[in-house]
Amino acid sequence: MDKEKLGTAIVVTSGKGGVGKTTTSANLGTGLAILGYSVVILDADIGLRNLDVVMGLENRIVYDVVDVVEKNCRLKQALIKDKRHEKLYLLPAAQTKDKTAVKPEQMVELISELKKEFDYIIIDCPAGIEQGFQYSIAGADEAIIVTTPEISAVRDADRVIGILEAKEIHNPRIVINRIRPDMVKRGDMMNIDDIIDILAIDLLGIVPDDESIVVSTNKGEPVVMDNKSKAGQAYRNIAKRVTGEEVELLNLEADDEGKLSKIIKLLFGK
Amino acid sequence: MVYGGVELKKDLVTFKGISEGVYLDVVGNDLEEIKKDLDSKLNNSSKFFKGAKFLGIRSNELSEDEIIELKLILKYKYEFNISNEGLPEYISSYYKEKNSEQFIYSLDNINEGMTKFVYGTLRSGQVVEYNGNIVVVGDVNPGAFLKAKGNIIVLGSLKGVAHAGIGGNYDSIVAAFSLLPMQLGIGSIIVRPPEGDTQYKYPEVAKVVNGEVLIEPYLPNK
Repeated sequence: MDKEKLGTAIVVTSGKGGVGKTTTSANLGTGLAILGYSVVILDADIGLRNLDVVMGLENRIVYDVVDVVEKNCRLKQALIKDKRHEKLYLLPAAQTKDKTAVKPEQMVELISELKKEFDYIIIDCPAGIEQGFQYSIAGADEAIIVTTPEISAVRDADRVIGILEAKEIHNPRIVINRIRPDMVKRGDMMNIDDIIDILAIDLLGIVPDDESIVVSTNKGEPVVMDNKSKAGQAYRNIAKRVTGEEVELLNLEADDEGKLSKIIKLLFGK
Repeated sequence: MVYGGVELKKDLVTFKGISEGVYLDVVGNDLEEIKKDLDSKLNNSSKFFKGAKFLGIRSNELSEDEIIELKLILKYKYEFNISNEGLPEYISSYYKEKNSEQFIYSLDNINEGMTKFVYGTLRSGQVVEYNGNIVVVGDVNPGAFLKAKGNIIVLGSLKGVAHAGIGGNYDSIVAAFSLLPMQLGIGSIIVRPPEGDTQYKYPEVAKVVNGEVLIEPYLPNK
């Protein structure tokens, strides 16, 4: 894990709870690892950890992030190597402590350590804008905002973008999660343009509402590894965009399209 | 100013009440005429101002000495209680535009003054307060607050809360390319839009008419 260039720390945040921060963190991290980057996913939701569950690494935790910042263990002892990917690590949250256990300065120090070892540090931020949020964004270079097409989630995202700007984390990008194309088509759900219009930030990706997410979360296998899932495809695209590659937005409506026409599209472009 | 072909004679002096007290608004620079107008006003109603806190005189044409002379008249001839506070900043920093013929009717009451410019999107939870006018070059999102002692202009959509004329300046206006505020205030009047989705595709101006907030399309040729 020796390298000269420092890695990038990206915080995944939303303000509102339950919009898919942890799912996005797990899938983005795994997606980047699939692309060959060295990645650590840091669970900053101290006291309510579940990134380890989503990743299927629950039973391997010995030390956690609070042990690291309190110097009860070395950083490398707390890093958990993923089952499936060589270059993917998890730094789990503590479950028996709360959010007062970590201070922003400690987080900055920890992340600058991690940056020496990894290409990407994905920080899974807790919901809200209190201490947990404050220390999560303290060491971040970039931010990804997760929202769902609901007014309440968009409102919270707006608030969070404002706070990030005040903390000098500029140009956050947005992932719109759990889109239901049929509802958008009927006009029952906010569409992507409405959301971008309000938030006025760049779109990083769109993820459809997909049952396979629930299945994969319960199994502890990030959906990004599922080649058949549309949400998996969405997260693979998001990971590519994070590395700077330009990928077209997923066409959510082409759901019932036959395989043959897809192949034709692939072969002939249009 | 000409409204419908009839020229209105403007009073040279006007007493105006704001939450801090009373002040005198003076138009023109003809001191003798101004004094005459003042006398005729106060001979009828000098008792009316008894006990009121007199803040000062607003004029952009009279000299310092002439303003002091008027103050002395008010103090000794009419026994005004002149406060040391002076005029609040948001009033003293305004002065009437001289060539108001250029102004359109719906923006009649815009005055000049200190203005804060805000660039970019104002987001939920962000507050901009200013002792003058506020101009936002961007959107004001739901949950954001604008509070101005003067006017508020938004070059974008106004979906947050806008309160103009804080402190009792009922002449102030709120204008936006897309005026869809959660709440809108002018002076001490606070209103909210009617229920139902009414989105107009043109700029609108909100102002106070007869004690009510009136919202009308911005029509430059009106």
